[in-house]
Amino acid sequence: MNLAAIAFRNIRRNSRRSLLSGTAIALSTLIIACMFSILAGISEDYRSNVTNYITGHVRLRNREYDANEQLNPLHLSVPGYAGLVEHLETLPGVLATAPRIQFATAIYRNERTYAGLGLGVDFEREGAVMQPDKAIARGLLPRMGERELALSVGLASELGVDVGQRITLFGKNKYLGLSGMTFAVTALVRFPVAGFNRSFFLLPLDTAGRFLKMPGEATEVLLLLADPRRQAQVAAEANRLLDGLGLTGVRALPAERIGNWHNLLRLMDSSYNIIALFFFILGTTVIANTTMMVIFERMREIGTVAALGMTPGEIVTLFFLESLAIAVMAALAGVALALAITAPLSRTGIDLSGPLQGVGFEVSPVIYPRISLRSTLFVFLYSVAVSALASFLPSRRAARIEPVEALRSL
Amino acid sequence: MKLLLALAWKNLSRYRRRTLITAGALAAGVAVFIWLDGWLAGAERESERNIVWYESGSAKVLPRAALEDLRLLSLKEVIEEPAAVESALQAAGVSAARRAVLAGELFFGEGSLLVKVIALDPASDGRVFRLAETISAGRYLAPDEPGVLLGEWLAQDLGASVGDLVTLRARTRYGAFQTLELQVAGLLNCPNPLVNKGTAFIPLSLADQALELQGAVSELDLGFPERQQPGPRLEAVRARLAGFPGLAVVGWKELAQDYLMIARAKTAGSSLLLVLIFIIAAVGIGNTMLMAVFERVREIGMMRALGLGDGAIRLAFLLEAGGIGLLGTAAGLALGAALNFYMVRWGLNLGAMIGSMDIGYRVHTVFRSAWHPQALIGAPAFGIGASMLISLIPSSRALRLQITDCLRHK
Amino acid sequence: MNANSRRPLRPALAALLLLAAVSAGAQSAEQILKRLEDAQRFRTQEAEGTLVITDRFGSRTKTFQSYAEGEERMLLAFTNPEEKGQKILRLSGEIYLYFPEAEEILHLQGAALKESVLGSDFSYEDLTGEESLLERYEPRLLGAERIEDREHFVLELKARKRGAAFPLEKIWVDAERYVPLKAEYYALSGKLLKEMEVLEVKSVSGRFVLSRVIIRDRMKKDSSTELRLGRLRLDEALPRGIFSLERLSW
Repeated sequence: MNLAAIAFRNIRRNSRRSLLSGTAIALSTLIIACMFSILAGISEDYRSNVTNYITGHVRLRNREYDANEQLNPLHLSVPGYAGLVEHLETLPGVLATAPRIQFATAIYRNERTYAGLGLGVDFEREGAVMQPDKAIARGLLPRMGERELALSVGLASELGVDVGQRITLFGKNKYLGLSGMTFAVTALVRFPVAGFNRSFFLLPLDTAGRFLKMPGEATEVLLLLADPRRQAQVAAEANRLLDGLGLTGVRALPAERIGNWHNLLRLMDSSYNIIALFFFILGTTVIANTTMMVIFERMREIGTVAALGMTPGEIVTLFFLESLAIAVMAALAGVALALAITAPLSRTGIDLSGPLQGVGFEVSPVIYPRISLRSTLFVFLYSVAVSALASFLPSRRAARIEPVEALRSL
Repeated sequence: MKLLLALAWKNLSRYRRRTLITAGALAAGVAVFIWLDGWLAGAERESERNIVWYESGSAKVLPRAALEDLRLLSLKEVIEEPAAVESALQAAGVSAARRAVLAGELFFGEGSLLVKVIALDPASDGRVFRLAETISAGRYLAPDEPGVLLGEWLAQDLGASVGDLVTLRARTRYGAFQTLELQVAGLLNCPNPLVNKGTAFIPLSLADQALELQGAVSELDLGFPERQQPGPRLEAVRARLAGFPGLAVVGWKELAQDYLMIARAKTAGSSLLLVLIFIIAAVGIGNTMLMAVFERVREIGMMRALGLGDGAIRLAFLLEAGGIGLLGTAAGLALGAALNFYMVRWGLNLGAMIGSMDIGYRVHTVFRSAWHPQALIGAPAFGIGASMLISLIPSSRALRLQITDCLRHK
Repeated sequence: MNANSRRPLRPALAALLLLAAVSAGAQSAEQILKRLEDAQRFRTQEAEGTLVITDRFGSRTKTFQSYAEGEERMLLAFTNPEEKGQKILRLSGEIYLYFPEAEEILHLQGAALKESVLGSDFSYEDLTGEESLLERYEPRLLGAERIEDREHFVLELKARKRGAAFPLEKIWVDAERYVPLKAEYYALSGKLLKEMEVLEVKSVSGRFVLSRVIIRDRMKKDSSTELRLGRLRLDEALPRGIFSLERLSW
């Protein structure tokens, strides 16, 4: 007896029932796959914000900077970043390097002083790292070498300043002296990292170096890697490179060793894993329910077939094959549909800037679902596995019942 | 009608397995929805509490002049007669805590750090703030002692521990330099990182004497009962304090600008997740319902043959579906509520899942859910409604067939 | 009595005699303080100077040209490479900053005045004080001390009213030249916060000028600011209109 053939015939014969159970499986699979993409998108967004804005995959700083970070010690710098960056780019796996100067300063406007945090950056390099061009709310990014800066929206509104106006910065320079310089505001920027929007502003790295009397120096250099998992190795290689260049005062750290950020990321991942668990539990019940329903509804059929001479083993196999076939097709459909939906969304994003609360910290209002072949496969296999299991047990039960009893049940 | 009810009831017990499976699908859907909803409500509430419990209270009464620059931590603008304000507030049924806030420098060993100093009254501060619950080492402050409470991360940066003697340097209300020799009474680790990293707490009586406060305070912090809408309360308080034109009452949302930016940037990711759960649950319910009723087309044919009217048949199935719905949602409600209760009461220790976080600061890691009554009512209501509505589909289909086709069905 | 045993008595004796003279009404604490302040009042002062700022990371040196007229007007123009062209102007109790690369003159007010100048132990606020020590403090003569072969009055200054940054000060005044040798600044609690030491006194046109002064933050390790005045001119005509906002940007 060709059980497979019988199985397929049964599927086609009870098209409505097959469709119903198949739809349930497909929809469950679809939703769980979408959920994974969305959660991955949120998590990835957070990760990438922390990476692009704060830690990079590897961060080079003066050895003593972190211990004195509160004082904003400009003299504890990374000297000669231009040459250093060239060497760093030769390290295998380095995608982008971003030298930066971070400094605290006062902003003078209308006889009042305000506090501001400046980030001197190389706008061209940051196109691959911080991507400031994507964050522009208004205006154009400052030009390198010019006395221009881009204000975060929060700072701009606090100062009452808009694009085209000029403001004066004054603050401590590297030599603990004062520096003052007037800048033109060329852009307003809305950072995806909310905390930045209150007091940060961006300016050209070379101008910042001039302003702070530290030309050619940076407070940190961030590295982005092609494979973030190699960050520890790359950091070690960077340290060897630094030693070779005689820059023993500068150290490279992989992001996972940069204190708190790493811990917060792990915390976030944990909470998302738990949420994924909810979905799985629900999805499992739906799929199992559906599958079991189908089996129990066909008790009479089982009885009939048993009375006709099919062994319990064959019966179980038959029903198992049916369920498996439906499950595979349905799960495939579900996963395919999920891909069809999330693929375009992963480019355009889901815009959720409505006034609703959510989870997570540095998360942007636009979510870009992320498609991962691994999780897609995982969801597919999971759906099939649950269906298979859910069909196996009841069909075994049913097959062991006396045919007479089975025939009797309506 | 009685007949139909009896019929419905009989059918429920007759098709026990079917009933249980369908009800099970419902139960799972409702339970998971309630659980996830509670989780998300907990996350939202957690971030709100971070501010209200540890940083700003529900609202602050401040000198109007201090509103100009809230970041300026000086004792220049003060409330001269807090007692008068407190009696006015008491008449409005609002509890208040007195605090003096200033900037200072904390010296220990060879180092020093700039800190925000909050002078509070240990006896009454608990009416509004929950700092006493976050003590992680040592103990809370006693009213008149020369002691200081440090945020854990601050203590770590300073290198100080419980029992150490530190010196605080600050300026008095009139601008004179003052130093206080303090013993570290305790360390606190609360979910609010700002408090952990940059705040030192001293007794108000000590500050009053050492900093020449002469009974004045920087602010009166108010605590409103959590579940109420702050809006009308604020208005009521403002009305009560109309007799103090120099004072302003500011709600916590206005004070926590950072939070608002994050909350808005925090997306409807959670709502999206809830919608997804919703859909899966709906799929599960619908699917099993559909299957259950479709299997009984012959039965419907029989009933029609026996003379039962269409309306009656529909009603019968509706009642049956309602019964299943009731059963399932009751179970789901119970399960969901139980799960939520566990999460609210004991929460989930995410830290244990992550393992040791040996670099950086210790982060608060116990996560608790919140009760969200709307979900507890809405989810079951939807469950019952959906089941009943969905049952109409197959029964209507069946009723359109010829009676003989019904009987021949399957 | 031989010479050896007489010598230990001499300093003590001298101090005693001085004290006696003082308590006999020859000089009250107020008078000493007044003479101290008068001695440091010049009609005009022009100087080239150096500021050495030291903290735990090391020392930094600034050079400047300064002009002062009376108590109310002062102009400081930096000449070292990092701050070249920067100017600080004090006029009628207000502070103005000029930076060559800024397009406006900054008028410092409020909290900004409490900031330290160049990370030194002076704040802008310190530069604006107009009231004299005598007006702000009530002096008390504690006694006399012989330091480095010179007699000094030891004055204790208590703030007359609230609002003084240092409620208590102690000054060692050279009994002959009426220049301060040392000053200590105390917090309200009595803890020593800062210390000023005059390392060198120059005689210019018959007046005594504090040409090397160091201020130390006694609560921090290695935190000090040293002021050295080089070429000095007193009570001579200064360039016209030098204390004006307009000329600040020239």
